Amino acid sequence: MKKKLTNPLRRRVLREIKGEWHKYLVIFLLLVGSIGFVSGMYVANHSMLEAVANSVEENALEDGHFELKDEADEELLDDISSGELAFEDEDEDDEFEVAPVTLYENYYRDATEDNDNDGSNDGKVRLFKASNELNHASFIEGNAPQKSGEIAIDRMHAENNDLKIGDEITVAGESYEIVGLLAYVNYSTLHESNTDLMFDALSFDVAMITDEDWDDVDATIHYCYAWKYDDDYSNDSEQKKLSDNFMKALLTQTIMHGASLEDYVPRYANQAVNFAPDDMGKDKTMGGVLLYILVIIMGFVFAVTISGTITKESTVIGTLRASGYTKGELVRHYMAMPILVTIAGAIVGNVLGYTLFKKIVADMYYNSYSLPAFKTYVVYEAFFKTTVVPVILMILINLIVINYMLRLSPLRFIRRDLKTVKRKKAIRLPRFKFLNRFRLRILLQNIPSYVVLFLGIFFVVFLTTFAFGLPSTLKSYQEHITDDMFAKYQYILKSSTNEMGETIETDVAGAEKFSMTELKETGGVHPDEAVSVYGVEKDSKYIDIPDDISGNEVVVSSAYKDKFGLSDGDTVVLQEKYSDDVYEFVVAGEIEYMGGIAVFLSNEAFNEVFDYDEDSFSGYLSNKEITNIEGKYIAMTITEEDLTKVSRQLDHSMGSYMDYFKVVCLAFAAILIYLLTKTIIEKNENSISMVKILGYLNNEISSLYLTPTTIAVVIEAIISAYLSKYALTLVWTIILWQMDGWLPASVPTSTIIWIVLIVIVAYVFVMLLDYRRIRNIPMDQALKNVE
Amino acid sequence: MTEHERKFLKISNLKKGFGSGDTRQEVLKGIDFSVAKGEFCVLLGPSGSGKSTLLNIIGGIDNPDSGYISINGDKLEEMGEKELTLYRRKHLGYVFQMYNLIPNLNVKENIEVGAYLSDNPLEIDDLLNTLGLFEHRYKLPNQLSGGQQQRVSIGRAIVKNPDILLCDEPTGALDYKTSKEILKLIEDVNQKYGNSVVMVTHNEEIRKMADHVIKLRDGVIRQNDVNENKISAVELDW
Repeated sequence: MKKKLTNPLRRRVLREIKGEWHKYLVIFLLLVGSIGFVSGMYVANHSMLEAVANSVEENALEDGHFELKDEADEELLDDISSGELAFEDEDEDDEFEVAPVTLYENYYRDATEDNDNDGSNDGKVRLFKASNELNHASFIEGNAPQKSGEIAIDRMHAENNDLKIGDEITVAGESYEIVGLLAYVNYSTLHESNTDLMFDALSFDVAMITDEDWDDVDATIHYCYAWKYDDDYSNDSEQKKLSDNFMKALLTQTIMHGASLEDYVPRYANQAVNFAPDDMGKDKTMGGVLLYILVIIMGFVFAVTISGTITKESTVIGTLRASGYTKGELVRHYMAMPILVTIAGAIVGNVLGYTLFKKIVADMYYNSYSLPAFKTYVVYEAFFKTTVVPVILMILINLIVINYMLRLSPLRFIRRDLKTVKRKKAIRLPRFKFLNRFRLRILLQNIPSYVVLFLGIFFVVFLTTFAFGLPSTLKSYQEHITDDMFAKYQYILKSSTNEMGETIETDVAGAEKFSMTELKETGGVHPDEAVSVYGVEKDSKYIDIPDDISGNEVVVSSAYKDKFGLSDGDTVVLQEKYSDDVYEFVVAGEIEYMGGIAVFLSNEAFNEVFDYDEDSFSGYLSNKEITNIEGKYIAMTITEEDLTKVSRQLDHSMGSYMDYFKVVCLAFAAILIYLLTKTIIEKNENSISMVKILGYLNNEISSLYLTPTTIAVVIEAIISAYLSKYALTLVWTIILWQMDGWLPASVPTSTIIWIVLIVIVAYVFVMLLDYRRIRNIPMDQALKNVE
Repeated sequence: MTEHERKFLKISNLKKGFGSGDTRQEVLKGIDFSVAKGEFCVLLGPSGSGKSTLLNIIGGIDNPDSGYISINGDKLEEMGEKELTLYRRKHLGYVFQMYNLIPNLNVKENIEVGAYLSDNPLEIDDLLNTLGLFEHRYKLPNQLSGGQQQRVSIGRAIVKNPDILLCDEPTGALDYKTSKEILKLIEDVNQKYGNSVVMVTHNEEIRKMADHVIKLRDGVIRQNDVNENKISAVELDW
C-alpha cells in the first residue's frame, strides 16, 4: 500500500502568503500589536494584582478605618473593639452578630506641601507616623525616615512632581529631605477623600515622618482608627457582613459615649485601596472587548478577501468538487490562511505581551497608581483570551462565510454562476453621464466590501473620537468648572463656634455663611452616590436660588440633574451616610453647576431639616482669601484647584497617551482602508485590464475605480464620526454611572471635522498605493482569464 | 465481457429540463444507453443538444428530473450529496475544455491534487512521462502552453485511475495539432489503464476514434452506433 499523499492544496497556503506578503504582513502586524498589547495588559494586571494581594498581608492592610472628631478614651475604644451594640435599635430588623475588632491608632495630619520651596502652597500632604502598626508602606526606593527632618513620600506623587531622593520639600513650613519613595498599602491611589471622583497624585501626597517630627507638625490631627476583624472572613460578602455589623456597633457606641463620628470607610468600600485593582480589571475588560472587535473586523477582512478568491477560483473549485474533493476539504483549505495568520499573530503577540508590552502597560499603571514592585506571572487567562478566543472568532467568522460561499453545487462553480439572487435586469440608473454610471455600477457591485469597510472605519473613528474626546471633555470640564465655582474659596469649619461658644466670624468683605452636609442617594443610576446639601443665605451673592422655594423643595445642580435624569417635580430620597435617616426633597429648579452632585436650599430650611440651631452654619464662601480665622477651626478649604483636580489628574494620567493614540488610530485607519480597498481592486482586476486594452489611460481608470471608494470612504467617515460621538457619550455616561460625580462628555463639531479629516488623510495614502496597483495590472490579464 | 461489464455505465430513460411554465425547455427527453467497461464513447451533437448536461448528470454534478444512471451497479439517484462526492472521488475523472489548474501549484503538484483523492494512485513520475510533462514538472501553469495545460488536467483526472474518464470538449480551446496530441493521449490512457471514456465533442471527426458513438439532437439520441472500424487519433483529420 502506497503512503497516503499529504493534501497538495496545503502547499498553496504558504505560497499564497508569500505572493501576498504585504497584505498578510499588515494583518499579522495589526494582530501582533493588539494581541501583544492586550496580552501585556493581562500579564501586567495579573502580576500587579498579585503584588497588591501579597502586599495586603505583608503590609498589614486594615479592614477599615473610622475617624472621630476628638481622640477616643480607652473606655470608648474598648467598647468599640467589643463589636457589641451599646443599645438595641428597636427599628432594626436585621439579625445582628457581634463583630469584635482590634483597633489601631492611624492618626494623620493634613499639612501643606511646597514642592519647590518657593513659599507657595503646591498641595496637601497627609502625614503618618513611621511607627504605625497597621497600613505599612513598601519602599520602592530609599528607606523610611530615621531622624528628624527626613521624609518618605509617595512614589507616584514624587514622579508627577519631579521629586527624587535627596530633594528638599517644605511641609507645614518646615523643611524635610526626601529619603524614601514609598507606596502605602492603603493608598494605591491617592484619594484624599473616599468620595472623590478621582485620585489626585499631583497635589495630594501621603508621607511618613518620624514620630517626633509628627508630634511637632503644625497641622490638625485627624483621629483616625484602623481596625482588623478578630474573626476571619473568606470573601467580600462575609467582609461586608462583618462591616455592617461593626458599623451598627460603632454607631451605637459613639452615640452612647457622646463621640462624633466623622468618617467610616470599610476596606471593601475604600477607593484608595480598591480603585486601582478595579480600574485594572475594567481596563482588562475594555482591552479584551477592543481586541475582539478588531479580530472580528480582521475576520471580515479575511472573509471578504477569501470570498474574492473563491469567486476568482470558482472554476478550479468546481473542477475539484467534480473530481471528488468534499466541501469540507475546501472549507478547511480556505480557512487555513486566516487561522495560520491569527495563530502566528497570537504567538508573537504573546511573546511581546510578556516582554515589551508588559513593561509598557506596567509603566502606564505606575504613572497613575502607587503600587508595589511586581514579579511576572504566567497568566493562563491571557493565553485563553488573546489566543484561543481570537482564533475561535476567526474560525467562526470564516467558517460561516466560506461555508456559505462553498455551499453551491460543483456545476455552479464551473459555470461561474455564484450569485444566489439573480436579477433579471440590471438596476436602472439615472441618466448620468456614462462614466458616472460606470462608477455607480462599481459602487453597487462592491456593496459587501463597503459594508465591511464601514465597520472598520466606524471602529477606527470610535477609537479616534475617544482619543480626541477625552482631552476635549477634560478641557470643557476645566473651563466650566471655573465658571461654575460659587466662590474662589469655600471654607468648611469644624464648628460654627469656638471653644468659648462664640460664633466664628470673619471681617473679610463679601464673605458669606453657608451650610453644607453630605448625604447619599438611595436610588437612580448610582445608588450611594454622595450628594452635597448646601444651605444658602437669602439673596446670596454666590449661589442664586429662587426665593419662592419652600418646604422640602430644593434646587439641584445641573450635574445632578444630568446624571440622574431629574426633572422639576421629581422627588429625590437622600440618606444619612452612617444612619438610616432619610430625607425627601422635591426638585424645584436647577443651578448651572457641573462641579458636583448637589442640592441647594435656604440656610433656614437646611437648619430645620437637619435639626440644627437656627443660626448654625458650616463655613464661609468668599472670593477673597480669609486670613483671620485660625487654622485650627478650619476643617477644609476648597479652591479652584480642588475642583479641577479630577480633570487635571485624568489629563495627566491619560492625556499624554492620547497623542500616541491618535497616531495609532491614523495608522490603523490607513491599514484597514488599505486592506479593504485592495480587495475591491483585486475583484476588478480583469475589468481594469480590459479597459486598459480598450485604450483607457491609467488616470481615467483610477478615476473610474477609485472615485466610488473615495465617495464611500468620505460618507462612511462622516456617518461614523457622528455615530461615534453619540456612542462615546453613551459609553462615557455608563462609565460615570458607576462612579461618584459627573463629568459630561464633550465632542465638539470641530472634533468631528478633525476625525473625518484624519480618515481622509489616511485614505489619501492608501489611494496612492491603489493608484500604483491599478497602474501595475497588466493588459494580458484579461486575455489570460477569458473563458 | 460479462453483461455487467457491458453495462458498466447505464443511462436509463433520463430526462432533464430547465425553467418553468412557458419558458420551460426540455434538454434531455428520455435518454437510454450504456457504456461498457474500458469503452471509448463519444457524445456528439450541436450546441444545445444536451450533451454537456448529460455528461454533468453522468458525473453526478447535476441531477436528472427522472430516469437514472448506474455505474458498476450503483445508482447515483440513491446517493446523497456526500456519497456522490465520495463516489466521484473514487470512480470518476473529469477533464474540461478550460484546464482549471491551480495557478500557484506546479505541474507535479497539480497532478498530486488528483492523486491525493485516491488510495492507490498511479505512479506520478510514470504518468508525467506518459503525458510528456516530466521535464516541465516544476513549472507553474502560466509557464505552459494550452496543450500542456490540458495534459496536466488530464493527468490530474487520470492519476487516481478512475473507472470512468469524463471529458467535456477537451480540445475545444486547442489548435488542430495540439488537439490531435491530446486525443492521442486520451486514447493512450484509455488503452493503457483500461478506463471507460465518455467524451463530449462537437467535432464529428472524433467519432472515428471511438468504440461507441452517441449522437444527440434536441435532447434525444439520433444515433447510437458501435464503431467497428475505429482508427487511431493520429489518423484523424479535419
